[in-house]
Amino acid sequence: MSNPVLYNYDLDENCYKVRLLLSCLGIEAETIAVDVFPGNEHLSPAIRAMSPKGSLPVLKQGDLVLHEAEAILAWLARSQKPDKGFLPNDPDTFAHVMMWLAFSARELDVAVRARVTAMMDAPGDIDALRSGAREALRIMEDHMTRQHFDDVEYVAGARATIADIALFPSFALSRDYNIDHDAFPALRRWARAVRRIDGFITMPGIPDYH
Amino acid sequence: MSLRDWYPLALSRDITPGTSAGTRVEGHEFVVWRDAGGAAHIWEDRCPHRGMKMSFGFVRGDHIACLYHGWQYDSEGQCRHIPAHPDLDVPATIRIARFAVLEAGGIIWGCFNEVDGNLPRAPELPAATTPVRSLFIDCPAQRLTALIADIPFEGSAPNVTTRTGRIVGITLGDNVLIAAVQPVSGSESALHLIATGALESQHLKQISTWSEQLRREVEALTSKDNDGEIAA
Repeated sequence: MSNPVLYNYDLDENCYKVRLLLSCLGIEAETIAVDVFPGNEHLSPAIRAMSPKGSLPVLKQGDLVLHEAEAILAWLARSQKPDKGFLPNDPDTFAHVMMWLAFSARELDVAVRARVTAMMDAPGDIDALRSGAREALRIMEDHMTRQHFDDVEYVAGARATIADIALFPSFALSRDYNIDHDAFPALRRWARAVRRIDGFITMPGIPDYH
Repeated sequence: MSLRDWYPLALSRDITPGTSAGTRVEGHEFVVWRDAGGAAHIWEDRCPHRGMKMSFGFVRGDHIACLYHGWQYDSEGQCRHIPAHPDLDVPATIRIARFAVLEAGGIIWGCFNEVDGNLPRAPELPAATTPVRSLFIDCPAQRLTALIADIPFEGSAPNVTTRTGRIVGITLGDNVLIAAVQPVSGSESALHLIATGALESQHLKQISTWSEQLRREVEALTSKDNDGEIAA
């Protein structure tokens, strides 16, 4: 089977989720750069033929074309290296992963928008977006606080799943939209655990410590 | 700065060796970090080079490094290494202001003045405590301290047993808690919660749920206070 093709913009956190999982799975992908800012290339007919809203990332493998990061993460985890456990089969853990993927797509959307408003000139009420993002991060903080009471280091259990991959960027990049990490001790501990996953890579805005 | 008193800054548990975090007291920014040997440090949160927050940086051994250009400081606050000038004998004037630190009751406390021999009396807390969590709340510290008793736990009101400065003793059902209140800024506080004795995970979760309700209700009341002020 040929390598998957990823339509990618390096500064897009949803594209980073896919790059991060590909790296953790040890899969090579062919990457096609899309000039989102300032080029607006994601709104071109070629991209919109694959992703109607022009949202990135888009992943292609043969005839299969996927958009929405959460779907791509699930497909990669299930089809490429299922033994790595990023999408567990156990029904309870599977459901928790789904719950946090939905949270990532819905509640954390304000965090994604806060960042592009703060950094890339996208329209939006930055104060309202930031306040919504903080609310979502607090829910994650409360959840990880409970996990840590049981010495559980990841969102859906003792091992990293695609839920961790999906939630990580909004916290790791929160300083881009002016929310510091001061008020989130449980998320700081969790972010250190995410950084320990084999194959972990960063993106611009998420520092490499060396 | 006249913050010559002991302020609670973090649960000791939450600043593990080799990590750092930013914090504020009355709006002043500090970095709390722990070296690989386990000693906690509280410094001004500012690299003298370009003003970058040291809390964005990272700890290696007994040094903390600035994220911006990698300047490394030893535990005395003295800059020891500038990567762009690896052979430079770094001048003694390049250093970061340090503040007094102590750990009591599983909480890191800082006293903000020049480091000298005249420190206020250390906070008195029991030796055997279990850390619960730190909670950040949009409410001035004094108001928060007054409101703690008003948020019921499983239907009954908490019993505030002691109030000594920033330390509030609370009986919550069968649990004996201590809340240390950090005045983050004029409008924000942090509540560092510990329990006396050992607690099981199930009880820690109940206390955590109570503290989240406390945050919701206190913020709703504070927001009402603020609306009232605007209306007046």
